Amino acid sequence: MKFLSTNTFLSALLISVFILGCGGPPQNNPLLMQAEESYNQAENDSLVVMKAPVALKEAEEALEQSQQIWKEEGKTNLVEHYAYIAQQKTKVARETAKLNAAQDEVEQAESERKQVLIEARRAEAIAAEKRAEDALEQVKIERAEAEKARQEATDLAGRLSEMEARQSERGMVLTLGDVLFDFNSSNLKAGANKVVNELAAFLKEYPQRSIQIEGFTDSVGSAEYNKNLSQRRADALRDALVRGGISGNRIETIGYGEEYPVATNMNEAGRQQNRRVEVIISNENGVVTQRTQ
Amino acid sequence: MRKLAIVIPLILLISACASTKPPNEKLTQVEASIQQAEQVGAEDYAPLEIREARKKLDEARELVRKEKYQKAKLTADRAMVDAELAQMKSLSEKAQKAVRELRESIRVLKEEIQNNIDKQRD
Repeated sequence: MKFLSTNTFLSALLISVFILGCGGPPQNNPLLMQAEESYNQAENDSLVVMKAPVALKEAEEALEQSQQIWKEEGKTNLVEHYAYIAQQKTKVARETAKLNAAQDEVEQAESERKQVLIEARRAEAIAAEKRAEDALEQVKIERAEAEKARQEATDLAGRLSEMEARQSERGMVLTLGDVLFDFNSSNLKAGANKVVNELAAFLKEYPQRSIQIEGFTDSVGSAEYNKNLSQRRADALRDALVRGGISGNRIETIGYGEEYPVATNMNEAGRQQNRRVEVIISNENGVVTQRTQ
Repeated sequence: MRKLAIVIPLILLISACASTKPPNEKLTQVEASIQQAEQVGAEDYAPLEIREARKKLDEARELVRKEKYQKAKLTADRAMVDAELAQMKSLSEKAQKAVRELRESIRVLKEEIQNNIDKQRD
């Protein structure tokens, strides 16, 4: 009985100790709880786990120390000391993770920047190539134009030489003898038709060109009469061309009379050379170089 | 059992002795850490943290003066993590700023290139 009662007493003691131990979970330390919460958040953050494992481990160790001291009911100031260390180490882990992530991103951004520059150079190269091609195309066009102009000039020269024109410092000059006109008359002979037709055809073919018709006589008769006659003859040729469909705007006429003889007036052969009509053909801009002497 | 009773107080005595020396080396380390943090711009990027570290360092020195060495050591340890945080936060903020600037420069670069291409098309 005595044994039993002792046993019962011991059991009661044990139970009461148990109840005391479990009874009312011990009031947790708020700083430790905060540190635990911070640490748990960081531990569940894959960025922190991946980029700052060392700092996170240090936080864990400090936290465990704090928990250990708490469990052993050690000094509160030590619990809080290690809780503080754990809290700050967790923050260090977060900043370390951010730093490492940023450095990775800097590398990535730098390679992106390089890529952009390479792209830009490529775009610039393509643009330069296009400019070169355009320039080449322009040269081709200009060359073709020059070729065409040269061909035209050749054709023109050919046509003019058919009409027995000659090159002078005023350009191409066609000299028509007095055979076109009756003596002392400004009427064109029937035989002049061929020349008129040729000239009209030429002017139609080269619409940008104009002509100046200059009439000359020998020195027989008065100067005024001769000037008048030469003017009328030049006008007669113009009128024939206008009838042939050429605009009068493209034809200037001048009667020079006895002026600018090309041969002597002392004999008939010379006088015949002086009796003439000269047709001066303008350049491609329609401008006729005027006499300077 | 008796032996243990002697050993435990001995251990306690030894650990008590450990805190009878001033934690001078620790304080020097804290000072160095604070300087490192300052060098990476903690004043601008982590002003609260660096201030906290300095405050705790001053407290630790004060405790040394009062010969409370154990407490001084703990305070210095806390100052140390504050300084470490200040340094890491400064570096992290600066790196993130660099990333933002770099991204912005890339954006501007892309824009300029696009403008050039547009100009050449005109």
